[in-house]
Amino acid sequence: MAKHEVEITISAKGEVRVHVRGAKGKACMEYAKWLTEVVGRVKDQKLTSEYYEPDTKAAIKLQQKLHNIEE
Amino acid sequence: MSTIIVLTPIIIGSWPSIAAAVGGAAAALGLSVGQMGYEEAKDVLTEEEKERMTSVEVQVADSRVVAKGMGAQKEIVATRAGVELRIRRDETGKCVVCASGRDKGKAELTEMAEAFAAKVTQVYVYNKIMNELHARGMKVANEEVMKDKSIRINVSNEVD
Repeated sequence: MAKHEVEITISAKGEVRVHVRGAKGKACMEYAKWLTEVVGRVKDQKLTSEYYEPDTKAAIKLQQKLHNIEE
Repeated sequence: MSTIIVLTPIIIGSWPSIAAAVGGAAAALGLSVGQMGYEEAKDVLTEEEKERMTSVEVQVADSRVVAKGMGAQKEIVATRAGVELRIRRDETGKCVVCASGRDKGKAELTEMAEAFAAKVTQVYVYNKIMNELHARGMKVANEEVMKDKSIRINVSNEVD
């Protein structure tokens, strides 16, 4: 079971900063899309290295395939 | 880390949802809500007192109040230290804050109206996010008000 952590900071003027940790790729974008629909519109977005890492399930499948090829 | 997004709020809501945010903002800023305002008292003010009154109006940015369901209540009045803040829906549907006060400068009233409009926006966004989190069954792990008056909410979501 994966744990996603979302830190939401609402500034004194109502601007919202969302920091998603633990979610990668598509899962990460789902949080961004959902919160944009709730709050308003995107002013800025930064993707960090974790975003480009594969999902855990996909990584396991890839490792299994590589293992099978080696055998 | 994976992503950081910054969102600009858009307030599109019914009058009850705006009224809830106004009530929350007034409580947070120590304002009294629902007292008779200067508008109602105008008839009993002398000409001299009326001349000492100053008013400014500030729009709540990116706001639209849905007229449906407004009922008889057209505006909310909040007061503090001789300043009256009236929050209402203008003819274009935007949410506006009108600040009035006796012997007050326009700059002071504008500052108060802008501070109140910002607080209403913050509380509205907070209410909306919390409702959505509860609706999705997501757990709030921590919540705190920071030194700069921002509100930080930490959400923990376990997924398969």
